[in-house]
Amino acid sequence: MTTMQMTRSFFLNSAVVGLVMIALLLAGFSAASPQMLTKGNIYNILVQSSYLMIFASAQSMVLLTRGYDLSLGNTVSLVSVITAMVLVSPWGQAAGAPILLAALCGLGAAVLIGGLNGTLVAATGLNPFIVTLGTMYIVQALGSTVSGGFPVSGVPAQFMALSRLDVLGVPVQIWTLGLATLALHMLLKWSVYGRSLYLVGANPTAATTAGVKTRMVTAMAYVCCSAFAGLGAILLTARTGSGEPTLGANLTLEAIAAAVVGGISTQGGRGGAVAPLIGAVLITLLSNGMDLVQIDGYVQQICLGMIILIALTLDRFRR
Amino acid sequence: MNDKQQMQAALGTQDEHVLQMSDISKTYGVNRALDEVSFDLRPGEVHVLFGENGAGKSTLIKVLTGNVRPDAGTLTINGQSCGFLTLRGAKAAGISAVFQEFQLAPSLSVVDNLFLGREKTRRGILARAEMQDQARQVLAELGFAIDLEATVGTLTRAQRQMVEICKALLLHASILILDEPTASLNDHEADALLDVVRKLRHRGVGIIYVSHRMREIHEIADRVTVLRSGRYIGTLPRAGLQEAKLVEMMTGRPIAALYPEIRQDPRAMRIRISNLSTVNGAVKDASLTLRAGEIVGIAGLMGSGKSEIGQALFGLLPIRSGQIEMDGTLIKPRNPSAMLARHLCYFPPDRNVGGLAVSRPVLENGSMTGLSLNMFSRFGFLRRRNERSEVMKAMKAVRLRPLDLTLPVGSLSGGNMQKVLLARGLVRNTEVFVFDEPTVGIDVGAKAEIYDLLKSLVEKGAAVLMISSDLQEVLRLSNRVYVVTEGRTVAELCGDQKTEDNVLKGFFGHAPKIRKEGVA
Repeated sequence: MTTMQMTRSFFLNSAVVGLVMIALLLAGFSAASPQMLTKGNIYNILVQSSYLMIFASAQSMVLLTRGYDLSLGNTVSLVSVITAMVLVSPWGQAAGAPILLAALCGLGAAVLIGGLNGTLVAATGLNPFIVTLGTMYIVQALGSTVSGGFPVSGVPAQFMALSRLDVLGVPVQIWTLGLATLALHMLLKWSVYGRSLYLVGANPTAATTAGVKTRMVTAMAYVCCSAFAGLGAILLTARTGSGEPTLGANLTLEAIAAAVVGGISTQGGRGGAVAPLIGAVLITLLSNGMDLVQIDGYVQQICLGMIILIALTLDRFRR
Repeated sequence: MNDKQQMQAALGTQDEHVLQMSDISKTYGVNRALDEVSFDLRPGEVHVLFGENGAGKSTLIKVLTGNVRPDAGTLTINGQSCGFLTLRGAKAAGISAVFQEFQLAPSLSVVDNLFLGREKTRRGILARAEMQDQARQVLAELGFAIDLEATVGTLTRAQRQMVEICKALLLHASILILDEPTASLNDHEADALLDVVRKLRHRGVGIIYVSHRMREIHEIADRVTVLRSGRYIGTLPRAGLQEAKLVEMMTGRPIAALYPEIRQDPRAMRIRISNLSTVNGAVKDASLTLRAGEIVGIAGLMGSGKSEIGQALFGLLPIRSGQIEMDGTLIKPRNPSAMLARHLCYFPPDRNVGGLAVSRPVLENGSMTGLSLNMFSRFGFLRRRNERSEVMKAMKAVRLRPLDLTLPVGSLSGGNMQKVLLARGLVRNTEVFVFDEPTVGIDVGAKAEIYDLLKSLVEKGAAVLMISSDLQEVLRLSNRVYVVTEGRTVAELCGDQKTEDNVLKGFFGHAPKIRKEGVA
């Protein structure tokens, strides 16, 4: 490789681009607002990005296979509602471990949705965009129906305490952030499944011809995505303290945005485990900073949109 | 006449040239793509540009089409000298190129494509009748029978190629560049294309023809210019054309024979296919046998179903009826991983589309078939050190250059991509190799290396099934050859019967001798 090519690939490297953007935003916002770099605000940003990061990781698994999961946000809402309803039901309160039971019910629902998405995409070869658009409406309707359209309140205090846990003086969300990135890294770089994800995403035909069980790998990506999203939904429910039928309303696109901004290619088969982390921090930092300097909410959306377009453009050049 | 005089005669005198390129140089970074290369073209001649991949042919062509600006050298077109060409200037000078990747809009009709971007209009409204008349005229002149209103996406590759050529002619090209025009055509289609080239030559068009195929070169070339590593090696006139000579000029080393002498020693029966047919109808009635220690060839035209026999055997295509025996027991190939476990590996023909994950590194492409083996993973996790050392071993065996496991496969030459594909069979214990077009689109040097590899595999006792459109390759390397036409094995040729004539007779339905059962 010549020096020029190395320079080029370094600057097109998604992690580098993401980190540079984070540094620029930090510098800009801290100049404009003294609150930016306080310990409390930094913690706040990291805590907030931990949720988005989980959803972005979920979305990344599917993006790696050249797919999307448009039903992710509504899955989050449904899991939130189901978890809260089990918690407040007499049945849930009679159980020995109500939180565990509720979490398992929520996750179970998520896995079922993922299974449906995965089976439809892998077995029929339908376009993932259309398949998950369909399940998106179904899941949304289910969430509204079981909850009656209203938040499910009255969850036990022990459950809500999950989100205020400190381990060694560090909020549990920041631990989640680190551990989830590590787990995703292990999965993608060290497991046979992770390798298969990349191969299937890069060239499904070639992967099949080489003996990779392409359909299984693709279907499992949707299951993992939903399961990951369900996990995030439970943590988010603990934080809000109620089962919200609209909890995930904006999450689908934010998760895709975070993954793509972090460097997961929309063409499949490219991007690593730090991508969702960098993307989530970048997007959270952007909205946090703009809140601090009191930029109007609509202008914030314009900025977010521009960041996504820049990320997609870079993705194009990387190929 | 000695060689030097021959070359001088071939170069001819200056005044009759439609194109003259002298001492063209182009450097990319430290890489000299062209080093003082000279080339000329007369009206009404076919001048073949010959050389390995990376010899500088593409760069030279791109200088002509205005895509690349040379660092030094002079260009004279129709007697007018110009420093270099822009894209627009090349068009104005009557230079047209047809590349391997077509520049056609698949969803539009033939006539729409022919006039794409320069539609004829009358007061702002498309003059369809006029365009159709012109298009019909050009098609008729060349003797093409293509429906003008057909959607380009429904045409065969050969027909699309013809549309591209028509497009070039509508521009009144005086210099036509054809870059490996027959690379993806079968012999029939290639013949039709060669006829067209002859017609164009007769009309006085100067044609630069890039090709590796010796058969075409013999049929059509007036002169052949050989490039190697960006340098001009020499020009041979039609009279002085010899395959050995050309190959020697191209590779810079004498190759006594491209095809190695293979010691065929058929032993135990590995595969017996009887009356196989596939659900998609591509294979209708195929029967063949394959033994350890021999290469069995399958010859057939494109679309004959020869490729699908290999795919069905590997579990890639659902089987309707018929039997497949492996080592004497009946098997049902369910999927590729099950067949890999039986030590059978299929190597697909289209490296970029079906064979390799081009954006992923050599390492991952090399270990693709072996991921589930204990050698490569345990409890679902990769053993990356083993992976690296095993893939490295395989890449050394196939002589990958550069020997770098981190490069994305898409950055390698065709020959090296093929080696990566081949290495996939070596990272696990493979005993039956099914090659589908093992040397399509790779240069002669890489071809020779692949043949050597086949030789060593077979001589170590592997069974090799070689499906190929390259007749020479099938005939010279195989112990026995099956001819496949319309999904049926219509002939089995061994010994003296293995001739081009007999294969062609098989293609066209009057096989010399039909044998149902293979006899080694």
